[in-house]
Amino acid sequence: MDDDSANPLRRMSSRTRKVAPKMAAALGSTDNRNQAALARLEALENDNAGIETVEINDDDEASLDDDDQVYMQKKLAKGTKRKTRQAKALENARKAPRTFLELLHEANLEALPPHVPSYLRAAVGPPSSTSRRHFCSVCGFTANYTCVTCGMRFCSCRCQNIHNDTRCLKFVA
Amino acid sequence: MSNVVVLDNGGGLIKAGHGGERDPTVVVPNCLYRPLSSKKFLHPSPLSSITSEDLTSAAVRRPIDRGYLINPDLERDIWSHLFSSLLHVNPSTSSLLLTEPLFSLPSIQRSTDELVFEDFGFNSLFVADSPSLVHLYEASHRPDGLVSKAQCSLVVDCGFSFTHAAPVFQNFTLNYAVKRIDLGGKALTNYLKELVSYRAVNVMDETFIMDDVKEKLCFVSLDPERDLQMARKPGRQNLLRCTYVLPDGVSDTKGFVKDSEAAQRYLALTDGVSRRPVEARKEMDQTEAAEKSEDRRRIDLTKTEFDLTNERFLVPEMIFQPADLGMNEAGLAECIVRAVNSCHPYLHPVLYESIILTGGSTLFPRFAKRLEKDLRPLVPDDYHVKITTQEDPILGVWRGGSLLASSPDFESICVTKAEYEELGSARSRKRFFH
Repeated sequence: MDDDSANPLRRMSSRTRKVAPKMAAALGSTDNRNQAALARLEALENDNAGIETVEINDDDEASLDDDDQVYMQKKLAKGTKRKTRQAKALENARKAPRTFLELLHEANLEALPPHVPSYLRAAVGPPSSTSRRHFCSVCGFTANYTCVTCGMRFCSCRCQNIHNDTRCLKFVA
Repeated sequence: MSNVVVLDNGGGLIKAGHGGERDPTVVVPNCLYRPLSSKKFLHPSPLSSITSEDLTSAAVRRPIDRGYLINPDLERDIWSHLFSSLLHVNPSTSSLLLTEPLFSLPSIQRSTDELVFEDFGFNSLFVADSPSLVHLYEASHRPDGLVSKAQCSLVVDCGFSFTHAAPVFQNFTLNYAVKRIDLGGKALTNYLKELVSYRAVNVMDETFIMDDVKEKLCFVSLDPERDLQMARKPGRQNLLRCTYVLPDGVSDTKGFVKDSEAAQRYLALTDGVSRRPVEARKEMDQTEAAEKSEDRRRIDLTKTEFDLTNERFLVPEMIFQPADLGMNEAGLAECIVRAVNSCHPYLHPVLYESIILTGGSTLFPRFAKRLEKDLRPLVPDDYHVKITTQEDPILGVWRGGSLLASSPDFESICVTKAEYEELGSARSRKRFFH
């Protein structure tokens, strides 16, 4: 949505700036910004904050049944073969609940003929007008300025300073 | 054979009860939670009961992701608790009416069928989609309304995981015309969480509390530009500012709105008329006094409360303009127009006149008003726009299901266990015409 950086008519300063190579790489591509934006949208669907941890190892422990003890004893008694770590990992990967996106990918809906309604075709699609309101990422009011480093919005000097101090993604990579 | 269990398996809340009754017996969150004090995941208690559960910083596991059932094992846990200790039904002697989101994937349908027939052993199953149930309920509720006369309506279901605009005709959802926005109550709560965590207190772990904040304080703005201006004002002149007190874990385990009267003050904004100056000045005097004491109080209580101003309406605003969030999706009004335009032109005027709002996220105050304001310019002049809000948007789908379950020919439209065993999931599902 932010196509400012792609605009060829935009005047750039001729002053050469010294930037760290990693920073230059991050600045060079708009990809990173898009990725960051997408990651942020993904995060809106998370159940818990931070990284989703699938607790497979604790599953036995966290199961609701109260017969954990019995179960553990049985397991020990039966334990003729001890699973290798690799086998365990494989089994866990098989047992682990898969995300909806994985299932969606597996269903291969793109292969359906175009007249069949499906999950993908029901998406509403892009808005008709490309205008977008921008809100300050710090205080929420209308933001007229864009951070040159990371592309987030701010509305005033004060908010810019706060943004730079706290949230600015200096290396978006 | 009269025992039909009606189960509206939503991403946020399970609504479950017996067919034929007016209201579901239990409404319970569709998740397991683990409070800080515990190592195990626990079943949340039903919403109606008054409990002292400590939900602060609870981790959550949900069987449903983006509206679809992805974790059948977890769902089995939740359902078996539901059937045995909340509903007290015996699955092997009952039928099940289950709601499923539109466009469910074949693999998900298969695992749902396995869950119903193999794990629980229900006698028979009927899978319904929510728009048709809502239509059914509204049509029978108002026998001489347009919905029942034309047998046609546009159901806007703005729920926990996503928002659908679905035209329904003769009790069948026209699935080729359904449009979806990937925004629902969950995303809104998470967005609010993110905003508050950045601006005031870190609440990234407080899913349940922020749900409560959203339900109590958020509203839909009729004019966001003007409201943004209002939200800038300092002190008590600011009609939008209100304070939410987080639970401290000692005296109370639930958060609350500090001054609930103040939270309603935004309602005065609709009229657009400024109040008389005398009144305003008097209030100003009070304001200053109140502000001083308030400021002093704020210093020692910073950790336990936070203010909301523009967040209150910018969060629900995202449903109307997801582009503001950076999503490449059209807003709700445009979504409705696209859904209608995919139908036969003869249906257009009727659909615009019979829009039904359902789903928990439509409970934001003034949702319908704003939608009408957005929609009117997009609809041809000679069509009427009429938006109906269900009397209880959360239970609307369940009530439709209850009606369907009590209809005499319900048994004949179900898939029985024997049929499932004979035909398998995919072929027995053909009966539902989804």
